[in-house]
Amino acid sequence: MSEGGGTVSEPIAIEAKRITKTYLSIQDEIHAVNPITFQIRHGEFVSLVGSSGCGKSTILSLVAGLIPPTSGTLRIFGEKVLAPSNRLGYMLQQDCLLDWRTVEDNITLGLEFRRQKSERTKSRARALLQELGLGHTLKLLPSQLSGGMRQRVALVRTLAVQPDILLLDEPFSAVDYQNKIYLEELLMNVLSKRKMTVLLVTHDLEEALALSDTILVMGGQPGTIRHTLKVPKELQSAAPLESRSKSSFRPLLNDLWKEMER
Amino acid sequence: MKWLNTRLTRGAKSNLHARYLRKHRLRQLGVHITRLTLFILLITGWEISSRQGWIDPFIFSSPVRIWTLFLQMSTDPAFYQDIGITVLETMAGFILGTAAGTGLATLIWASPFLSRVLEPYLVVLNSMPKVALGPLFIVTVGAGFASILAMGIAITVIITAMVIYNSFQSVNHDYLKLARAFGANRRQLFCRIIFPACIPDLISALKVNVGLAWVGVIVGEFLVSKNGLGHLIIYGFQVFNLTLVLLSLLIVAFLATIMYLLVSRLERYLLRHR
Ligand SMILES: Nc1ncnc2c1ncn2[C@@H]1O[C@H](COP(=O)(O)OP(=O)(O)O)[C@@H](O)[C@H]1O
Ligand SMILES: [Mg+2]
Repeated sequence: MSEGGGTVSEPIAIEAKRITKTYLSIQDEIHAVNPITFQIRHGEFVSLVGSSGCGKSTILSLVAGLIPPTSGTLRIFGEKVLAPSNRLGYMLQQDCLLDWRTVEDNITLGLEFRRQKSERTKSRARALLQELGLGHTLKLLPSQLSGGMRQRVALVRTLAVQPDILLLDEPFSAVDYQNKIYLEELLMNVLSKRKMTVLLVTHDLEEALALSDTILVMGGQPGTIRHTLKVPKELQSAAPLESRSKSSFRPLLNDLWKEMER
Repeated sequence: MKWLNTRLTRGAKSNLHARYLRKHRLRQLGVHITRLTLFILLITGWEISSRQGWIDPFIFSSPVRIWTLFLQMSTDPAFYQDIGITVLETMAGFILGTAAGTGLATLIWASPFLSRVLEPYLVVLNSMPKVALGPLFIVTVGAGFASILAMGIAITVIITAMVIYNSFQSVNHDYLKLARAFGANRRQLFCRIIFPACIPDLISALKVNVGLAWVGVIVGEFLVSKNGLGHLIIYGFQVFNLTLVLLSLLIVAFLATIMYLLVSRLERYLLRHR
């Protein structure tokens, strides 16, 4: 995975070498991930697709340093992952906004945890909120926002810590189609201005194809990578909605479907 | 009649809305009127049966007698002392009990090992009827305020700890995942996510504890029997002045209701954003 967004000269942002994960409990052991190896260069946008339960979220949790791999090694910018790295931003399907805090205090949550909260970082977070078109919601509570707006606030919270790597676990799955497209556009806009590596988990093949440089198709239980798809340059450079209307989009989507069903 | 109709439809946005409002408010009015009638019937029924000798006035007293006693006692400063001390003991009991229970829950949350170790102890302590500890309190902290307070706390602390610990554990795991991905340590996790997320449950515990603390304090006063409303009840019983017993009971019911309403008010204030 060296073409696409990340060129060969870029450092390797995420490197997984034969990682596996087995969840252990008293009653059972669940093999969630079979040996998986991949490399993602800095600046690349990679999607992880596959049927439910094939271990996509597990891989994200492993990269995030939330759980240790059972075997194999994981490196982020050359450093072995032992705990959540400061260079990561993590976002889930659920917006997880704290409903007792205003939007302003929600977007600085990550800064608080990392002890980076200062006037400078706070105003940067506010500027990001403005950039995503929510400047007017600063003093509102999450309960006063719509689902799409909440997810945008969650995105701002993730970006506020200035991550080099974005880990997104089905971030746009819970919002309606229109909002999803809008959020995708916003995300791509943000990415065009800041260099970030993105690892996106999604079950939405259209989304994967419209956004990514590379798609990793996972399958099986325990899951493993079955296929790697390089997205053509013309789709990579097109905006999410525009991309969906390109002539090469449908055939590729069909190929992906077949890969998934295999 | 016209006046009533305009009152019933006040603030209506349309004819349809007016009909809805009239129906709703009429039902509401019906409830209030029935409530009041029931109250009056009960009181007069009680008074009449007592006067006619249908019930033993010596045992069941009567509303007028209770009221007369109340007026008579309300000139006596000792009466207010009795009320004051009971209210103080109850408030201190449920506030300290809730605080101590929350503290205990925090402690066992902080150490999963400790939580495992303490689990059977908590279960046993929780199943135990706390009022049975009364004599133990009296011999250890003396037959007075401290014993009664101890009873008020004992009756609330364990159940609070169990409920709150449960609540700590039921916080959505995605929130914890997210916070940990941001590099939060356990302390930050607790102070910024878990504890604030459990405040609604904490307030529910407070509401339950108000009632429990009253039980603890009244039983405590039965045992120690120096002053307070519990003492008045026991004293009235001993001298067979059932009017005094009933008066004290009514005052306890009144104060307990007020306290519950205050906590409800506090709840609405604290949760106004949620
Ligand atoms: N914390 C956990 N404990 C035990 N088993 C788990 C845990 N998380 C996930 N699993 C199991 O691992 C497998 C992969 O899950 P997951 O990574 O969530 O898949 P996906 O995100 O692709 O739907 C599933 O069989 C799931 O039941
Ligand atoms: Mg998942």
